[in-house]
Amino acid sequence: MSARDEILSAIRTRRVKNAPRPARYAPPPPESDLVKQFADRARRTAAEVQILNDLSDVPAAVADILRGKNMEAAIHLPPHSPFAALDWKTAPGLSLESKSPGPDDAALALVPFGIAETGTLVNPARDSAPASWHFRPGLEIAVIHTRDILPHMENVFARIKQSGALPHTINFVSGPSRTGDIEQTLELGAHGPKALAILIVEEA
Amino acid sequence: MKPRVGLFVTCLVDLVRPQVGFAAVKLIELAGCDIEVPATQTCCGQPAWNSGADKHAADIARQVVDAFESFDYVVAPSGSCAGMLRIHYPELLKNDDAYATRARSLAAKSHELISFLVRVRGMKDVAARSNVRACYHDSCSSLRENGVKTEPRTLLASVNGLELSELKEPEVCCGFGGLFSVKYPEISERLANDKIADAQATGADTLLGADLGCLLHLAGCMEKQGKAMKVRHVAEVLADIHGPALGEPR
Amino acid sequence: MTASTPQEFPAEAHAALSDETLKVALRRLKTHFALGRQLAFTRYGDMEALREQGRAIRDYALSRLDSLLESFERQVKSRGGQVHWARDAKEARDIILKILRETGAKTVTKGKSMVSEEIALNPFLEANGMHPVETDLGEYIIQLRKEPPSHIIAPAFHLSKEQVAETFRESHTELDPRRSLEERTTLVLEARRMLRAQFEAADAGITGANFLSAEEGAAVIVTNEGNGDLTRLLPKTHIVLTGIEKVVADLDDVSVLLRLLTRSATGQDISSYVTVMLGPRNAKEADGPENFHIVLLDNGRSRLIGTEAEDVLRCIRCAACLNHCPIYGAVGGHSYGATYSGPIGAALNPNLLGVSAARHHTNASTFCGRCAEVCPVKIPLPKIMRYWRAREYASGLAPKAMTFGLGLWAFAAKRPALYRFFSATVAWTLRKLGGKKGHVHALPIMNGWFAVRDFPAPQGKSFHHLWAHRK
Repeated sequence: MSARDEILSAIRTRRVKNAPRPARYAPPPPESDLVKQFADRARRTAAEVQILNDLSDVPAAVADILRGKNMEAAIHLPPHSPFAALDWKTAPGLSLESKSPGPDDAALALVPFGIAETGTLVNPARDSAPASWHFRPGLEIAVIHTRDILPHMENVFARIKQSGALPHTINFVSGPSRTGDIEQTLELGAHGPKALAILIVEEA
Repeated sequence: MKPRVGLFVTCLVDLVRPQVGFAAVKLIELAGCDIEVPATQTCCGQPAWNSGADKHAADIARQVVDAFESFDYVVAPSGSCAGMLRIHYPELLKNDDAYATRARSLAAKSHELISFLVRVRGMKDVAARSNVRACYHDSCSSLRENGVKTEPRTLLASVNGLELSELKEPEVCCGFGGLFSVKYPEISERLANDKIADAQATGADTLLGADLGCLLHLAGCMEKQGKAMKVRHVAEVLADIHGPALGEPR
Repeated sequence: MTASTPQEFPAEAHAALSDETLKVALRRLKTHFALGRQLAFTRYGDMEALREQGRAIRDYALSRLDSLLESFERQVKSRGGQVHWARDAKEARDIILKILRETGAKTVTKGKSMVSEEIALNPFLEANGMHPVETDLGEYIIQLRKEPPSHIIAPAFHLSKEQVAETFRESHTELDPRRSLEERTTLVLEARRMLRAQFEAADAGITGANFLSAEEGAAVIVTNEGNGDLTRLLPKTHIVLTGIEKVVADLDDVSVLLRLLTRSATGQDISSYVTVMLGPRNAKEADGPENFHIVLLDNGRSRLIGTEAEDVLRCIRCAACLNHCPIYGAVGGHSYGATYSGPIGAALNPNLLGVSAARHHTNASTFCGRCAEVCPVKIPLPKIMRYWRAREYASGLAPKAMTFGLGLWAFAAKRPALYRFFSATVAWTLRKLGGKKGHVHALPIMNGWFAVRDFPAPQGKSFHHLWAHRK
């Protein structure tokens, strides 16, 4: 018998229990303002959060953030990034890079879903958003539209399934990379980004 | 008619500290019950059950069921013995056709002493006096098997002259664990030392508890190390029965 | 440091009890993880309903383990992934080596995986010419030190930052020997730099899985560092190694378990990263592994189904039971001499290592019940430990002195009149021995008791004697 058949048959022969499928879990109801809840929870994970009036404000905000961190005025955009279409002249001196970001670089991502319950960004891997770009840079700047902020993780899974074929990877990101492995003391930037900035764009 | 209570004395009270048994009798009578002490009881069988000696444990459990099933209530001045009757007997005798149902019905009417007084009999206070600064040790079985937490504190609050302070880590085990204390003495001692340090830091001069096993272990460790703190079963204080504390010179 | 064996538990525990660095680390574990957990659940609200849901989700999955695994396999295959089944540790090691050889891999980055420890994968890969690199910071440190992990989720918690600095200095010989390594931040950044090069160079990545979902065919991992993702995404081949019991019905069930896992483990509402891995990259996707393999390990798990220890399969490896265990809190993880330590180790190890080999793990418990109280999926851990003790006793594997003593005691306990006589005699004797000082200092028997304690002398006559002669 193959290992597969032997394991499955052992499970079937020994089984006694017949536990019922539990009713669907109802997570704690979201707070009245999803965007506020999202921003609040994201800040709790040590992400920096700003609210912008319009997508056209992104270039200036990116330049501001880089300046505030004394970082080089360069931002990495993946090929086919929707942000390539923005008017980057509003952020003079800022250069756009298309190669893969290094551990001290900054990268910009458009995030299709957010979770209010935990302040989490959800990134299904896709053509315009390589999954590794959420982990390679030193700073990730994530842009999310208010309408894409959903109450719970379950809502996000439902939306992704509705949209058709599943991607190879879905990355849930809550705050910058961290570790407590040395003396149980929190340090940011273990392997992934040392900082995460979220730009929430208020749009219909 | 008064309810009839069978006192499960426990082997340690019988052997080491009979006055805890008399304190229990006094408190149960104050709570408006008639008390009897079946002569065919010995031990609840915990040492066998916890060691995995199921056959011995089952024999002893059947003996306890026989001796106590005719009472309205069974009360033990120990959380772990009460837990044995309430939780483990039904498990232990579940495949014994003659005893499974009887073990479950015994379990349903068995109680740890203090929780019986407060929860079942509605006792709110006692007429006792004790000029001590006390702290209270929740045994793991009282706390987690019997859900006893507020009951001893409620009654102790009514003891004249007694001042009660709380441990920092009241939910942590003292390291007794029955035969564990003999099998792994060094680990047991470390846990006792942590508990004793916690108790001493409260400024209390007396450590009270409802499980004689924990108390003998803690008093024994303190004695060995020359740490002066009186250790007593809570029932003694509530019943206004005094005399030397555990391990104290007579 | 060489790893100890489970049989050496008493000696290892003895040494651990006087290890001051360990004592400090264990105290930190309590204040950071245990307190963090409590705060996280208080913030959340109805923790009891959440735990009950977690238990029910795991019970449902375990009672349909076969069909869920088949569904999982179907889904993974439909997206171009491959699923391998391993009856035991050796089969799993061989499968992994074969995949690595077929893809021409040499450097293998690894995400943190207890199953990898369980099957002793690293030494096997090294012996076969591979270069495995642990990338979780804690795992990386102990790999450099050639130590086993001392905790399920904090493998290097037992070390001080000075010890880590010393290890880095000895291992990273290409760096300036005069560099300062006093700050934790410096240590973390040095590891970040050293490991980034390994990620870029790796031919294959191996991770575990915290959960598998049957309906979607997904493997899910949680990390805080992002090392699991760089392990998955950068190399050409990604292998997921996990136990067959990890599967649940769907991603909604995973969502519930994630709420329990991170709160119970580190006190976080969610970990920095949760990664749902569904297959190899497709033509349209910008990055990701070209080859995606799942290795499903049994290694005795199926043997537990239908036994009284079955509930242990619900475990989601959060380590809350370790963080709240007084025994683990006194002796630490290395004392156990096994991959799994603490209460969950005591419940798992008799099945993995043998009832006799793991007897100290199951016996070194006071049954205080704190582990079951904090378990996010309500595993009755003391009940399972007791089950293993009963198996040990019934198989005649318990120490003879103990079974003899228990037998003698039980003989009397079943005969009340005889028992009365003995207890009265013992009470009287101890009272005499106690004399005026009120306690007994030593006896020729019960060495375990008198090694660390005196015995408070009995009051004299037994309760039953006094009761029979009252008034």
